[in-house]
Amino acid sequence: MTYVEYRQLNPFQRFAFNFKKFISNVPHAVANFFKAIGRGIVKFFVGIGKGFYNYGTTFVKGDWATKLSYLIFGVGDFSKGKYYKGILFFLVEVLYILYMVFFGWTYLKDFTTLGTIPKHTEPDGIFEKIVYGDNSMLILLYSVLTIVITIVVFAIYIVNTKDAYKMQLLRAEGKKPTSLKTDIKDFMDGKYHITLMSFPVLMIGIFNILPLIFMILIAFTSYDYQHMPPGTLFTWVGLDNFASLFDVVNNSTRARTFIELTEWTLVWAVIATFSNYILGMIFALMINKKGIRLKALWRTLFVITIAVPQFVSLLLMNQMLQSNGAINILLSYITGQNVEIQFFNASPLLARVTVCVVNCWVGIPYTILSMSGILMNIPEDLYESARIDGAGPVKTFTKITLPYMVFVTTPQLITQFVGNINNFNVIYLLSNGAPTTHKFYQAGYTDLLVTWLFKLTMDKQDYNLAAAIGILVFIVCATLSLIIFNNSKSMKDEEAFS
Amino acid sequence: MKKILAILLAGMMTTAALTGCAGSGGSTADKGNSNGETKTSESTGKNGVVDVADFGDEDNITLKVWAPDAAVKITKQQCEAFKELYPDKKIEITIVAQGEDTAATQMMNDPDASADVFGFCSDQLNKLVNAGVIAKCAYADQVTAANTEESLNAGIIDNKLYCYPETTNGYILVYDKRVVSDDQAKTFEGVLKACKDAGKQFIMDAGNGFYSCIFTFTGGVKLDGLEGEDNDIQKFTDYDEDTAVKTLAAFGKLFKDYKGTFTSLDVANISSGFSSGKCGAGIDGTWNAVVNEKALGDNLGVAKLPTINIDGKDVTSISMFGYKSLGVNGSSKFPRSSQILAYYLSGEECQRQRATEIGWGPTNSTVNGEDVVTQNDMLTAINEQSKNAVAQVNMSSTFWDPMKNLGNKIIAEEFKPDDTDAIKKLLDSTIANIRDE
Repeated sequence: MTYVEYRQLNPFQRFAFNFKKFISNVPHAVANFFKAIGRGIVKFFVGIGKGFYNYGTTFVKGDWATKLSYLIFGVGDFSKGKYYKGILFFLVEVLYILYMVFFGWTYLKDFTTLGTIPKHTEPDGIFEKIVYGDNSMLILLYSVLTIVITIVVFAIYIVNTKDAYKMQLLRAEGKKPTSLKTDIKDFMDGKYHITLMSFPVLMIGIFNILPLIFMILIAFTSYDYQHMPPGTLFTWVGLDNFASLFDVVNNSTRARTFIELTEWTLVWAVIATFSNYILGMIFALMINKKGIRLKALWRTLFVITIAVPQFVSLLLMNQMLQSNGAINILLSYITGQNVEIQFFNASPLLARVTVCVVNCWVGIPYTILSMSGILMNIPEDLYESARIDGAGPVKTFTKITLPYMVFVTTPQLITQFVGNINNFNVIYLLSNGAPTTHKFYQAGYTDLLVTWLFKLTMDKQDYNLAAAIGILVFIVCATLSLIIFNNSKSMKDEEAFS
Repeated sequence: MKKILAILLAGMMTTAALTGCAGSGGSTADKGNSNGETKTSESTGKNGVVDVADFGDEDNITLKVWAPDAAVKITKQQCEAFKELYPDKKIEITIVAQGEDTAATQMMNDPDASADVFGFCSDQLNKLVNAGVIAKCAYADQVTAANTEESLNAGIIDNKLYCYPETTNGYILVYDKRVVSDDQAKTFEGVLKACKDAGKQFIMDAGNGFYSCIFTFTGGVKLDGLEGEDNDIQKFTDYDEDTAVKTLAAFGKLFKDYKGTFTSLDVANISSGFSSGKCGAGIDGTWNAVVNEKALGDNLGVAKLPTINIDGKDVTSISMFGYKSLGVNGSSKFPRSSQILAYYLSGEECQRQRATEIGWGPTNSTVNGEDVVTQNDMLTAINEQSKNAVAQVNMSSTFWDPMKNLGNKIIAEEFKPDDTDAIKKLLDSTIANIRDE
């Protein structure tokens, strides 16, 4: 189909055409995806092979000092007169050995079993003292730490061998190694990015990456309320936790809960995101329309809801929607009868609609705020030339305002969507998962995956199951974000509207 | 950041909302502080006091005690008195406020950093024993001899006594004497009718497993410990399904008949309802005793739970009854001193003090027979109820959610008392869910 033919189609045909193209592209895209993964794997192994090759050749070509630095860090540097670096390398080795002997190895050796010695009690007359054996949680935690440290030290070791060979070559060329002073100067100048970034990277590693690895590993263990350290041990169970979530064959409650809550979570995320987005946009357009008076007043009125902290609004709403709450009392006054609508405790549908509506109350003001800003930013000359060309209000909206807003807000929309998948506050504080049901395992009809996860950890101490759910939620969020973002206009065409 | 805050707040919320122990004691602090608080006996041999030899070679002792907010002050006084009992030993005791409902979770998170002696609710005992963080009671014989059988049952797992019972923790009927007469308070029908006639509400939190279990317990579906390979499956006593279904139907029908009068709300609404004159009666926890008294004064009536008429017979309502106990950290650096202190704090003298000063119902048999209890309607009613109750111990953590659902379903608009099959199904699925089948 040529471009001209495409332009002649009506919007529905265009959509059908694009949809068909998308579907027919799926196998290709999937194939590309796997090819990319394959290439990545090959690249990885080639890289490792190359590393080994370099490692070997450097050793063969190296002089005594370079050879010795394969065993003792920093000898190469030290022998060539680069004392400070040699000492630093050597210090790393000494510290690492001390760490491993006195701390790391005591935990790492049990990493495969996560501990074997259970607690026992030592009687002392009528008294007794509990003596704890292995602590699976600490073993897991410190093993992860030790493994990460080992990888870092290994990297330093490789740098050390390379550096030794480099020094050797430098010596062969008859050059002198740079002094400490020049190196420090270099860190403030040419290598400034390293100076600047090393501390933040270190902190992210310690406070984000390490706990993350630890939490991910928990999903493969039996760390639940029956296996609580220090009194009891837990161990590796492989994919059992994931299996129990997908165990549809036996119609297990966990699998049913997981699947139905996933469906509801996605439905909720779509509804919550787009209801806020569209309604917010409409309000913003109305407020910004020419000829509307007291613009600032309307804007302020809407923004006031932001001034009340979200959780306060939600808790208030929760109280208002109780069977004896303000809403029911108000309805009773109006109708003259005793109205007792159970917003959260009766029908699942009503409860789900209620949380969606209340979510609009807490969400729309934010959309109005950002939309107003964007609307005021659209260059006025665009509208002017459109008017001169004879475009009406609808045309200017669909051709200028909407594309502009969608273009600017797509990233925001994605964050909101992902945020709504994990929208803990609204559900937990508003309905707390109600209405209850006997069909689900420790969850109600309005529970999202994330609130279910919270209940599992806080009420049930099923950490392993919760970790597994967390991983799955992450996979869903990451995949959706990547797909949407990569297909969005703001990604493909960054320069538009600039 | 917002999320972390939210989780923290949500955590605080759950603390407040969790079953049973919520707001234990409330604002009971300043009640009759005048009657000499440090009259602790110097004579050894009394209940709660042991020979100094039991300390063994422990000296320079530092102990940490966890007590709920309302009891921090009195625990401090009692610990001072404890130190005076053993002048030869150098004892340092710090008291930290820690809610009893979350004590077990805190203990399991890091036993080494936790208290040596801690107060907790009896339903957490299983968790604590499973996690192996609680030491067994060293003075089991003395404690058994001094306390009521019911309170001890709540502390025994595998024939071993683990804790020092401290006080009762249950719920009873509270009512406005101007609305409900003492005679009417004996039956559910009477209470509801009186409330309806006066145009007031009867409040019970039927959407909470802690209270809704009355329906099944009364029907004979009682807890009978745990079973299974991991000892984590709730066992139920042999029950007659027909009776259970009939009981559920009777409760459902009664609440339906008195629609508008019977209201399912959080127990906090009872005291506020008393103040505003909306509420005539309710099923409320002992920890709200003081606020209820503040609201109604002399008009506050208390009684054990009313009976319900099933097939023309008045059947006694069975409730869930918890106890608050002191436990000893299994990894305490001073295992002997911790046991001695826990024994002292749960002893006769300390229980009497708490009953007089902060209104905690004693578990000690001697104190139970004294004026402080027999002259107190509230404590008497609690004692009576404790005889018609299932102890809140040996419970699977899957109990609460399905039980909450059952309560919600029974009071729901759609509930049909005549539809026996549906009720049977509800009961079966509830039990299956509790047993996680």
